[in-house]
Amino acid sequence: MAEARMPQKSLPKVNKVDEPFWTGAADGKFLLQKCKSCGKVQFFPRVACVDCFGDLDWIEAKGTGKIHTFTLVRVPRNPAFKDETPIYYINVILDEGVIVESKLVGNTKEKVKMGDRVKVVFQETHDPQIKLPCFELAG
Amino acid sequence: MRRTKVCFVGYGSTEYSRKSEASALSYYADAIRDALRQTGINKKAIRGFSITTQASPDYSPHVAEQLGLEVDWVLNGDYGGAGGVMSVRRAADAIECGHIDLAVLVGGNSFDRSTPTQRQLEYQRGNFVDVFGYGGPNSLMALIQRLHMEQYGTTLEQIGKIAIAQRENALNNPQALFREPMSMQDYLNSRMISDPIRLFDCVMPCSGAECVMLASEEKAKQITDKLVYLVTDAEISHYQVANMLPDKTTFGQKVVGERIFSEVKREDIDLFEIYDDYPIAVMIQIEDLGYCKKGDGGKFVNAHDLTYRGDFPVNTGGGELSVGQAGLAGGYLHLVEALRQLRGEAEGHQVKKAERALVTGIGWLNYGRNLGTTAALVMERRK
Repeated sequence: MAEARMPQKSLPKVNKVDEPFWTGAADGKFLLQKCKSCGKVQFFPRVACVDCFGDLDWIEAKGTGKIHTFTLVRVPRNPAFKDETPIYYINVILDEGVIVESKLVGNTKEKVKMGDRVKVVFQETHDPQIKLPCFELAG
Repeated sequence: MRRTKVCFVGYGSTEYSRKSEASALSYYADAIRDALRQTGINKKAIRGFSITTQASPDYSPHVAEQLGLEVDWVLNGDYGGAGGVMSVRRAADAIECGHIDLAVLVGGNSFDRSTPTQRQLEYQRGNFVDVFGYGGPNSLMALIQRLHMEQYGTTLEQIGKIAIAQRENALNNPQALFREPMSMQDYLNSRMISDPIRLFDCVMPCSGAECVMLASEEKAKQITDKLVYLVTDAEISHYQVANMLPDKTTFGQKVVGERIFSEVKREDIDLFEIYDDYPIAVMIQIEDLGYCKKGDGGKFVNAHDLTYRGDFPVNTGGGELSVGQAGLAGGYLHLVEALRQLRGEAEGHQVKKAERALVTGIGWLNYGRNLGTTAALVMERRK
């Protein structure tokens, strides 16, 4: 098994559906999908509106929101992440009204409480093409 | 929906092992052998076969070929932890339609490393969850548990009471991997895995398999005098999927419960085999199924005795939390324990009045919401 040989931190396997998102992220933008028919905003990237099945546009989110819930990961699924533990894995409600899963970074993360305001920061990875949309406590 | 002509006629189990690397196929075979012994059925009478496993590439025709089953109906029943109940529903449909009169449904897993193992993470789990270093299902359920605790004041002691009661149920179950009593201190002091989920909130992965046999009423009467009828069953996949701000603490079991209890009365259920990948999942299902208001699950478990001797017996053999989780056999464990109880075969942990059992399954922890698949059924012993 490849994983057993050399554990590496997981990276997205970019596909046709979410490629615009990752291109945006590399550019410092958090992109969401918006339905051309009903206007619904959605995440994660899909091929059609989850509500009315309409065609989709990409819009840029403000990148701000609040902590909906969080957990401190002591045992990551992929052991390559062990050096980052505890990982502050979070659900954020973006101001556009969608839940996004991510992690909290920055030196104030230990103070996190439910409802805290957060803003997106893009974290570099071992692949220069890929930046991960993480969050920091705002203010 | 209401069923009238479908019966459970037997079940089979294997030993559970935390180490065994015997092939998953041999586990399936052992579970089926156990059921054949119990029922006296000849293997050739089995005309329907379903397999529920994450061991890839164990697709159902391949497994059927390996086990030498020539069948008129075959199913790859992989619906996560709901795979047991959802496979029963599909087999019952096939029996009611007259395609088959006898089916064996198997769930199992092993640590066999010599064959290709787990399937890949689905796209959104791989690209938008795993990349942040999440801790697998433990983390996803931890997000839900923290919300439940914050929104409703649910305490660790209330959640722990479920794990402790189930451990008590497991003490006399020879199949259970954990047969040492658990105290509240043991629970609270167990190692943190993904706050607020602790070690004793988690199931122990293991090798093992479970199976159930389903037959038409006519066939069932030839096989056994312990007739257990499938009474009603329901499922929903991807509850709240189009809601970008879903209620994470309400599962699809809310809808499933409404359907189930339009056919039978809540108070007529004698025992509850509730899918228990985590104690908080049991509590939330008790709420969703309508046994108390949303958010009152903590008060409910405080007010009831959940052991097999109690007034609200839950996971009477110890559940996955104390028996172990042999991969997707997890969803079958609850079916098999319900059958043991209704047939009066749960030696050492038998519920006194065991005529009607509710069995649930939940699976597929998903992005931003909670469970992808949710299902339940009621079975009833008739003399």
